[in-house]
Amino acid sequence: MAGQTDSTMTLFSSEEIEFMAEDEMAEIVPNLRMDSLNFICGDYGPFLPQLAAQVPLWLALALKKRGKCTIRLPQWMSVENLTRVLEAERDSHAFQPLPFHYVEISRLLFDHAREDIPDMYMVRSLIEDIRDVRFHKVETNLEKFTASTVTWKNMSAMEVNVIRAFAGRALQAFYKHDNEQETPDTDRTPNKQPQIPTDRPKRNLKPR
Amino acid sequence: MATEESAGVMDDYEMLISTTDVELLKRAWRNEKAAPEILQYESSLVQRIKEQIELAEQNEEIFEANNIDPLTVSLYQMDLDRTQFLLRSYLRVRLQKVVSSGACCAVLFFGGYVEFDLLVGFGMQIEKYLFYVLKTDEYLNRLSKQEQMFARRCTDDLGSHLDETVLAKLPDNYRSILKQSITSEEDDMGCTLESLFHEIAEALNSPHKFLIRTSLVPAPRLDTFVICKAKQYLTGLDFEPEYSMEITEMERDLLTFVCYKFVKKPLENGKIDLV
Amino acid sequence: MANYYDIDGILMEEEFVPVVFQKPINGVNIDESTEKGYVEQGSKTELPFWLAHELHMRQAVTISVPTCFNQKTRLEIQADAACVDLRSRCLYFYEFGCKLAPLCDKSIGLLLSYAFQIRYKEVLHKAHATAFAAASKFLMLLTKEETNLYEAAQSSMAAFKKWRMGGPRLQRASILGRKRKPAE
Repeated sequence: MAGQTDSTMTLFSSEEIEFMAEDEMAEIVPNLRMDSLNFICGDYGPFLPQLAAQVPLWLALALKKRGKCTIRLPQWMSVENLTRVLEAERDSHAFQPLPFHYVEISRLLFDHAREDIPDMYMVRSLIEDIRDVRFHKVETNLEKFTASTVTWKNMSAMEVNVIRAFAGRALQAFYKHDNEQETPDTDRTPNKQPQIPTDRPKRNLKPR
Repeated sequence: MATEESAGVMDDYEMLISTTDVELLKRAWRNEKAAPEILQYESSLVQRIKEQIELAEQNEEIFEANNIDPLTVSLYQMDLDRTQFLLRSYLRVRLQKVVSSGACCAVLFFGGYVEFDLLVGFGMQIEKYLFYVLKTDEYLNRLSKQEQMFARRCTDDLGSHLDETVLAKLPDNYRSILKQSITSEEDDMGCTLESLFHEIAEALNSPHKFLIRTSLVPAPRLDTFVICKAKQYLTGLDFEPEYSMEITEMERDLLTFVCYKFVKKPLENGKIDLV
Repeated sequence: MANYYDIDGILMEEEFVPVVFQKPINGVNIDESTEKGYVEQGSKTELPFWLAHELHMRQAVTISVPTCFNQKTRLEIQADAACVDLRSRCLYFYEFGCKLAPLCDKSIGLLLSYAFQIRYKEVLHKAHATAFAAASKFLMLLTKEETNLYEAAQSSMAAFKKWRMGGPRLQRASILGRKRKPAE
């Protein structure tokens, strides 16, 4: 339907997605002694020098910016793992499992914790390559869909957000065209038995 | 290694920490932002969050008085800021949904694009649901007391604005902000127009031709597509029987683009989250 | 059902459709050149959709297929849907088609589905891959909804790129630092 959604209102901005990513957990090694922090969002610490601790990413970055800790690179961000993931992404139509917020987490770490990332340039270019391959896949998948319910396995938060507006509108149009060309839906009453096969095509696509 | 298995462990961990109110608020905020209609107001959650925010603010004063080190204070401040951002954003998204489209109402009465430009110029959001919310008990009950009051005041303001600028100058039959004319029988969602034949023929040359359009009260668009994720495996029983042809199951944690109305029921039952 | 306040919905209903009157109607004149003051049964004219629709509901007219859905357009769409200039034929091609299909020709629905499936891929591709200057010629062919799609895809991608390049983060509004008033 034409121009129906004032889409800006319901969309998540990239910054809001980043905000959510900042709640993901990270491992830090503090260089100071600090009592437990009893936050509204949970309790963290106590912190002792050289003793690794799990904290939300925003807290890790805040301490990092003040020089109070180093951030341990998450396992999935190692060069070996990223190399493997990149290869697998190239070889397969499926999305490889990565953290839901991998785009945001990696960007935050590149921006604020670069000295904690061994092989920083390598890691960054691997992640960029992975992201490009995956975005390309997203696009290819978008070209294919013609059904009104689409599922994607292992797609990340940012990838989904980038296509949200387009895919939402396109799917709505498909759904509308599919339904309007049917003759009036007299047979679709709520007490109709579910699961009876009909000639109507099944819309659920297999996960890609 | 980011294997399937470790992803599963992460999810369980997420479930565990999801018990904090902040996590619940974040979920409510995400759902509210992504849903095309207004959802049930999370009154007790908001109450608890407000209390925790107040407590944190008191603590801040205590810190200041006790000379706690500035680093610790600033970290507490960040935590407070994040929670307040969520709460504010949650409440604001809801208000945006509550407020109605004064702009659009005015556009249509005389089909004047000038008026439309003018209102857009004022930066008015074109927001649609206010009259709808007030007319439907089910929707009204989803609002908090303050939101209900807000909705009433907005409707009154908008109503009197439309009255003064347009409606009072129209013939008696066309003065309602809910009906387009006395001859339309159902005032909200009705789209059958059993008006007299001649009235329509007359409209051919009438400047008020927009008045014979269908309904003046826009409903939220439940056929909007949303992205969701099931917290558990969902079977056909979790969905409205009405949509049993469209949707039969949903795998846990699989991102799904789907028509909002198909997943309205599991969303209300807390079985899925909008992303 | 179209949203009453949807400006595109209104403009779309202004599109003209050919009709044939099935009943004589007094007190109305569709032909400026005569002084008859009534419409004879069987007269043909073009009316805006909103009026034709109301009259159709009362069996006063039958609606025929307007030119934007005629055989020529169909053939062109079947030949190369992505290159057809739908914009000049009807800015609201899909929406108008959906409304018309049940009233005059159900096969319009299939045509819409087919055209959209082919064309939206092109929209997607151009939105993500092409510089604006190169796309502008292509944009001249698009209907309103296709343009909306194009813009949706492009602005999401632009927003993402902007975020990736860095720049101002969520900033603290100056008011937020202040103490809240105790009053409720």
